[in-house]
Amino acid sequence: MEIVVAVKPVPEAETRLRPDASHASLDPEGVKFVLAGYDESAVEQALLLKESTVGSRVRVLSFGPAPRTEEVLRAAVALGCDSATWVEHPSDLLPDAVLSARCIATAIAGPFSGLVLCGRQSGDEEGGIFAGALGALLKVPSLGYATNLRWKEPRGQLTLQRSIEGGLEEVESSLPLVVGLQQAWNDPRTAKLPNILKSRKAAIEKIPWEATVATLGPHAIPGTVRRTFRLPPPRTGAKMIRYDSPQDAAAQLVRLLREEAKVFP
Amino acid sequence: MPDFGLSEEQRSLQELARKFARTEMAPRAAECDRLGRFPEEVMRKAWELGLMNLNIPTEYGGSGLGLVDQCVIVEELAHACAGMTTSVIANCLALEPILLGGTPEQKQSVLTPFCSSYHLASFCLTEPGGGSDAGALQTRATRDGDHYVLDGEKCFITNGPHASLYTVFATTDPELRHKSICAFYLPRDTEGVTVGREEEKMGHRASSTSTVRFEKARIPVANRLGAEGDGFSIAMRTLDQTRTPIGALATGIAQAALDHASAYALKRHTFGKPISEHQAIQIKLANMAQDVHASRLLTWNAAWEIDHGRKGTLESSIAKCFASDAAMRVADEAIQVFGGYGYMKEYPVEKLLRDAKLAQIYEGSNEIQRIVIARELLRRYA
Ligand SMILES: Cc1cc2nc3c(=O)[nH]c(=O)nc-3n(C[C@H](O)[C@H](O)[C@H](O)COP(=O)(O)OP(=O)(O)OC[C@H]3O[C@@H](n4cnc5c(N)ncnc54)[C@H](O)[C@@H]3O)c2cc1C
Repeated sequence: MEIVVAVKPVPEAETRLRPDASHASLDPEGVKFVLAGYDESAVEQALLLKESTVGSRVRVLSFGPAPRTEEVLRAAVALGCDSATWVEHPSDLLPDAVLSARCIATAIAGPFSGLVLCGRQSGDEEGGIFAGALGALLKVPSLGYATNLRWKEPRGQLTLQRSIEGGLEEVESSLPLVVGLQQAWNDPRTAKLPNILKSRKAAIEKIPWEATVATLGPHAIPGTVRRTFRLPPPRTGAKMIRYDSPQDAAAQLVRLLREEAKVFP
Repeated sequence: MPDFGLSEEQRSLQELARKFARTEMAPRAAECDRLGRFPEEVMRKAWELGLMNLNIPTEYGGSGLGLVDQCVIVEELAHACAGMTTSVIANCLALEPILLGGTPEQKQSVLTPFCSSYHLASFCLTEPGGGSDAGALQTRATRDGDHYVLDGEKCFITNGPHASLYTVFATTDPELRHKSICAFYLPRDTEGVTVGREEEKMGHRASSTSTVRFEKARIPVANRLGAEGDGFSIAMRTLDQTRTPIGALATGIAQAALDHASAYALKRHTFGKPISEHQAIQIKLANMAQDVHASRLLTWNAAWEIDHGRKGTLESSIAKCFASDAAMRVADEAIQVFGGYGYMKEYPVEKLLRDAKLAQIYEGSNEIQRIVIARELLRRYA
C-alpha cells in the first residue's frame, strides 16, 4: 500500500506567541515548530499500517517555509517514514487551507491509488478543511474524525472508526482515500536516538515554489487574506473556592454558577 | 575557536532527551526520591530509545556519540532527576574500560551482545578502605593457570544490584601499588560474586548503590583488559572520558534550580509585589544564572577539547569541579528564594541540593580535581 502523510509545522504548545511587525502573522523568532497532536497521530497510524501490511511505504509531505518545514519532515523520518517531500513556499506567503491542499495535491501528482492521512485539523488554525479539500482535488473520497484504521488484505478494504455526535461508527472503504485523524488515541511513538541521527542525513525531496506556481497558475494565490493576528486578551477573574469539605466546595460552586456566572437558573 | 551553538543534530538529541526527561523521568522523580526506588521501567525505556550506551560505537550497538553530544543529553536528563541520570550513564562508565583496553575480539564478544538487549554494567574501583587513592586498592587478583582468582570488596558501586557485568580493578601485588593493577570484566553470575544490600543515601535516591564482594571468584585470563599492570592507566583514562559528563549532570541540576527559583520568584508576593522585584532576589537569580552559564560553557569546552583528540585533563577537571560546586551554590540559593517552602519535601528544590552534593564527591572528589588542576597549571610555569 502506498501511504502518504501530510503534516504541517505548528508552534509547540508551550511556546509564547507574539504577532510580528505586520500584525497579520506570528513572529517566528524563537518559536519551535513541531508536529501537532493530530499530525502525530496521523504519522503513527501510517507507521502502524506500514508495519502490518507487507510492502507498504510511507511518504511524508509538508507544505511550508524554511526552516521549520524541513525540521518536522526530519522528525517524521526519524519516526519511521521512508521518504519526505518538502513543498516549499516563501516565508511571507500566508496560505489558506485550500491553497495548502492544492499544493499538496500537486506534489502527490499522477494517478493516485493509495491512502492519504493527515490530522483532522491543523494544530494551529484548526480549520478542519484540508482533508476535504484534498479529497475533492484528488477526486477521491475523504473522511474526518477517524481512528483505528485497519487494512483488510483479502478484500483490499480499509476499515476505520469515527466518533460522531452521540456514538461511534465503523466505516469501510476501498482505496484511494483521504483520512483526517483524530488525536490522542494511539500513543504516538518517540523517535529513537540512532534514527534521529540517520534522519539528519536523510535526503529530502524539495519542490521549489516556482515549480508549484508554474503548475497551479493563478490558483497559487491564496483565496482568503488574513488581515490581522492578535493574541486573545489575558484571562481574568479566576476565583478560588475556600472550603471545609467536598460537600461544602460543591455547594459553593453551584451557588456561584447560579448567581454569578448565571449558567443555569 | 569553537562554535558555541549546537548543530541541528545536537538540537534534535537535546529535544529527545528533554522529552524523555519530562515525560518519563520528572513525573517519577519525587516518588523515587522518597522511597529510594530504582525505576527499572525508566532504565529500560532509556535503553530502548538509545539514551543508555551513549559512548559505545554503533558497530557494537551503542549510540556512538562524542562527548559534546553526551553532555547535551546528560544535562537534559539531570534536569529531571540526577539520580536516574547517574544510573542511566553508569553503563558509559563501566564499559569505557573495555573500549579503552579491550582487543577488537573482546569488544566484539562483550559489547555486541551486551548492547543488543537491555543490560546494566557497573564500574568497580572504589573500596571500603579508600576511593581517592586508587593506587592503594587491596582487591587481590591471584594468577592460577589460565585464570585469576579475585578476592576483595568494592563499595559505593552504582547499579551494583542490577548489573549483569562488572568491570573490576584489582592488584596482583599491593606493594607495587599502581604498577600491579589489572582491569577485568566478569559476568555477575560468576561463582564467588555477592552483591550487598542497597545503601540508603542522602540524594541520588533513584540510583542504586551497593557493595560487590569477590570471594575466590575465578576469571579467565582472557577477561583481562590490556596487560598486567595496565589497570591503573585504564581506570584513569576512563575517568578522563566520564568526568566531563558529570559537569553536564551538575549543570542540569543547577539549571533546574534556576528554573524553579525564577518561576517561583515571579509568583510569590511579599510587601505588595512579586519577590522577583526585590533587588536582593534579583541579585541571587543573576548570580545563579552566571553559575549555570559558566558551568555549561566549561563543560562543552572540555568535551570539545576531548572530541578533538586532545586529553583535556585540565579542562575536564575544571568543568567537573566548577560545575558541581556551582550546582551546590545554585541549589542552595534556590532553596533560599523559596523560603520555608524550599525546605519542604513537597517542593522540588531541597532534592536538588542533596543531589548536587554527590557531584562534588564521585568520579574523583573535588579535592582531587583541584590537585589535578594545580598540577596541570604549575607544569606550565615550571
Ligand atoms: C552514590 C555514589 C556512587 C558511586 N559510584 C561509584 C561507582 O559506580 N564505582 C566506583 O568505583 N566508585 C563509586 N563511588 C565512589 C566515589 O568515587 C568515591 O566515594 C570517591 O572517589 C571518594 O572516595 P572515598 O569515598 O573513599 O573518600 P576518601 O578517598 O577516603 O576521601 C575522603 C576525603 O578526603 C579527601 N582527600 C582524599 N585524598 C586527598 C588528598 N590527597 N588531598 C586532599 N584531600 C584528599 C577527599 O576529597 C574526601 O573529601 C560512588 C560514590 C557514591 C557516594
